[in-house]
Amino acid sequence: MLLRADSLAATQAIAAALAALARPGDVIVLAGEMGAGKTAFAQGFGRALGVTDPITSPTFTLVHSYPLPGAKQTLHHADLYRLETTSDVADLALHELAEFGGIVLVEWGDVAAAALGDHLEVRLEPDDDDDEDDGDDDDGDEFGLDGARLVTIEAVGPAWATRWARLSSELEPFRC
Amino acid sequence: MLILGIETATEQVGVAIGGHEGIIATFEVARGRRHAEILTPAIEFVLRQADVDVDELGCIAVDVGPGLFTGMRVGISAAKALALALRVPMIGISSLDLLAFPCRHTDRVVVPVIDARKGEVFWSMYRQVPGGVQQVSAPTVGPVDDLVADLLARSQEALCVGDGAERYRHEILEGYHCEISAPVHPSPGALVQLAHAQALREEWVRPAEIEPIYLRAPDAQINWATREQRS
Repeated sequence: MLLRADSLAATQAIAAALAALARPGDVIVLAGEMGAGKTAFAQGFGRALGVTDPITSPTFTLVHSYPLPGAKQTLHHADLYRLETTSDVADLALHELAEFGGIVLVEWGDVAAAALGDHLEVRLEPDDDDDEDDGDDDDGDEFGLDGARLVTIEAVGPAWATRWARLSSELEPFRC
Repeated sequence: MLILGIETATEQVGVAIGGHEGIIATFEVARGRRHAEILTPAIEFVLRQADVDVDELGCIAVDVGPGLFTGMRVGISAAKALALALRVPMIGISSLDLLAFPCRHTDRVVVPVIDARKGEVFWSMYRQVPGGVQQVSAPTVGPVDDLVADLLARSQEALCVGDGAERYRHEILEGYHCEISAPVHPSPGALVQLAHAQALREEWVRPAEIEPIYLRAPDAQINWATREQRS
């Protein structure tokens, strides 16, 4: 489904709606280039699940884990950006983390989607219509953290089939 | 000489102590998947109940997989840490060997099958030999269908064991007529027994030489077109 978030707060509201339906075993891929808001999305997602620790980018530590309050569950926040091979990805054993009571968010997970098994992909892109002076320079953050985003959500595998209708109706206000 | 065996390659945490007099203590918990939380207290418990001082250990044996990456890492790092601290050698034994060894009295082909997650299993095949079992096919990872095809190709009387055989019981039996039975998890007792036989021949290694058997799918470079473009 294709959604539009007109601000950072809206992006995080979409994240919260997704978090409300997520359950242990889920692997959620966060795709999108530098500055697209993958970590911001993870922050909105984590806050909705009651994580009070600051959620920071796991680029250099590969996986950050946050125990969820009141549940024997853990939110794992991974980032594949520094990895070079699919066996590096396999080494993280993200599906094992998911299976052991974990909800796993994977930044840059789209580059190794085949190694992740069933998952939900959330793709974040700047909404070009929103920003007139969006030069095509390469500094990676030209569209501003608080700008509008196009958010595409797609399920790979059957894990979300039974929750899809619910998710669609929760996210109706953000439909393009 | 006493050997401490540590086994965490599946959902089970297993610890055993033994030596010349055979197995003197074992501990197994196969629920909860809390390898990191259970293992150290389990080692302490087994040592205390068997009245063994940690300095009496002459060798640390460990299950090196294949199996759960997260589980193996807990067991192998704990085993290495102990061996380094005690300055004793190590023996690493495959989880598939540990599943097959307790079945050494059957004349059927023994097929240990370990759940590799995401619809795949690790498996290998063993034959009875005097005093034990011998691996007759190299460890493999693949979908359950590949295991069934391998069984069909060999068409021998087979005994499948392990948590993979248990989980995919119906799929396996639909494809090939064989028996599926215990053990479900690799035995820490078998680990100590097999390690003891190796220790008598001084077939041990330094901790740095112990490596987990991951048996991953073929490796490939990640296509980082996006990243290269940005950097």
